[in-house]
Amino acid sequence: MMELLDPTTGAVTQSIAYVPRPARLEGQRVALIENTKFNSDKLLQKIGDILVKEYGAAGTRMFRKRNASVPAHEEIIEEVRKTCDVMVAGVGD
Amino acid sequence: MPATLTSTRHRVEGGLDDAIEFCFQQGWTDGLPVVPPTEAKVRAMLEAVGLDPKQQVAYIEHRAVAITAEKVAINAVMAGCKLEYLPVVLAAIEGIGDPKWSYHGPGTSTAGAGVLLVVNGPIARALDINAGDNLFGPGWRANATIGRAVRLVMRNVCGSRPGTLDRGTLGHPGKLSYVIAENEAESPWPPLHVERGFRPDQSAVTIMAAEGPHQFYNQLSNTAEGVLTTLADAMKISGNVMGQPPYMLVIAGEHMRTIAKDGWSKADIRRFVFEHTQNSHAHLKRTQRMAGEVKPGDETLMRPLVESPDDILVVAAGGRAGAFSAYIPGWGSKRSSQPVTKEVRR
Repeated sequence: MMELLDPTTGAVTQSIAYVPRPARLEGQRVALIENTKFNSDKLLQKIGDILVKEYGAAGTRMFRKRNASVPAHEEIIEEVRKTCDVMVAGVGD
Repeated sequence: MPATLTSTRHRVEGGLDDAIEFCFQQGWTDGLPVVPPTEAKVRAMLEAVGLDPKQQVAYIEHRAVAITAEKVAINAVMAGCKLEYLPVVLAAIEGIGDPKWSYHGPGTSTAGAGVLLVVNGPIARALDINAGDNLFGPGWRANATIGRAVRLVMRNVCGSRPGTLDRGTLGHPGKLSYVIAENEAESPWPPLHVERGFRPDQSAVTIMAAEGPHQFYNQLSNTAEGVLTTLADAMKISGNVMGQPPYMLVIAGEHMRTIAKDGWSKADIRRFVFEHTQNSHAHLKRTQRMAGEVKPGDETLMRPLVESPDDILVVAAGGRAGAFSAYIPGWGSKRSSQPVTKEVRR
């Protein structure tokens, strides 16, 4: 019989508070969080245009992260807080 | 009273073979057998460096993971490290926790970064870390197990498991272990760690998120300019050419002597390579690397491969015979991850 020590570390439980989703997008100002990858701005803008045209959003504003591998920086978050009501963000290649 | 080890304990019936198989079954290995991490082995590892098991070695902010000395020691035992290798492993783990290295990208990216470690200073020689023949290849326990320990920590502590969090499309063999030393004994140049702010008598490890090594040939020229012209030509379209990642040049024996004979310093090498690896916007557009149509002026509008000559790290290492050296593109871009150098404390 051997006794082995576990080399892994379990994930730390974190609580993340989500703001409730708005019931409607009419009149809402939409932030688009662009992750710097090729064509991410085009894809997000198309999504933003659909939200304006088909769902009545008031408009869109694009924000660019420093790079794809980091969270949106504080200045972006602060500006979104001040000037937008909802945001669209995603990661991927 | 020795400090308590708090890791979960697993009782395995049978002998050594059963314990090795158990580690496979738990998903703790990189595909090769590991040394089963018993308390005695882990304690010996921690006592060798005088660290409290609970001491935090690094904190991976984007993943909210604290890497403790106990977990580093367990994974170093599994990797097959000797006790005296642990200080190098610890310095490397500090490096992957540095915000400039920015773990989340290289630890997860589809671009499949390895963790390239360059060890400098007295400890490289004391531990017999290979700086010569078969530099990136097999045969040296220190090279094979130090890098393996780092990868096992990434896998087991940080969650960078292939197929889940580690999404490398291709990966590369250096993701098993990717460790070299600089050949300071024969190099005509200041060692890498000295260029990066350490004294020659300090030991340090430079940590860079990197693609695999790209070997180039020049068996013709006996001048620095000739050898580096070949290098620049091979290198100018490589890596994430639009991302401008840092690069490492690994100059092996014959090329090292040829370049040194002409009196070129590492700074001269960096400057020449920077100037000769620029691509025209027209070429980048025609080859579908840069977006957009070719416009007037694009044939002469040049984009450097790296932002600055200082983004090219130069290391003297590799066998004495053979007119080969290598360039290594960094992962992603300089904005996403930068090489860092950490002191190895004994």
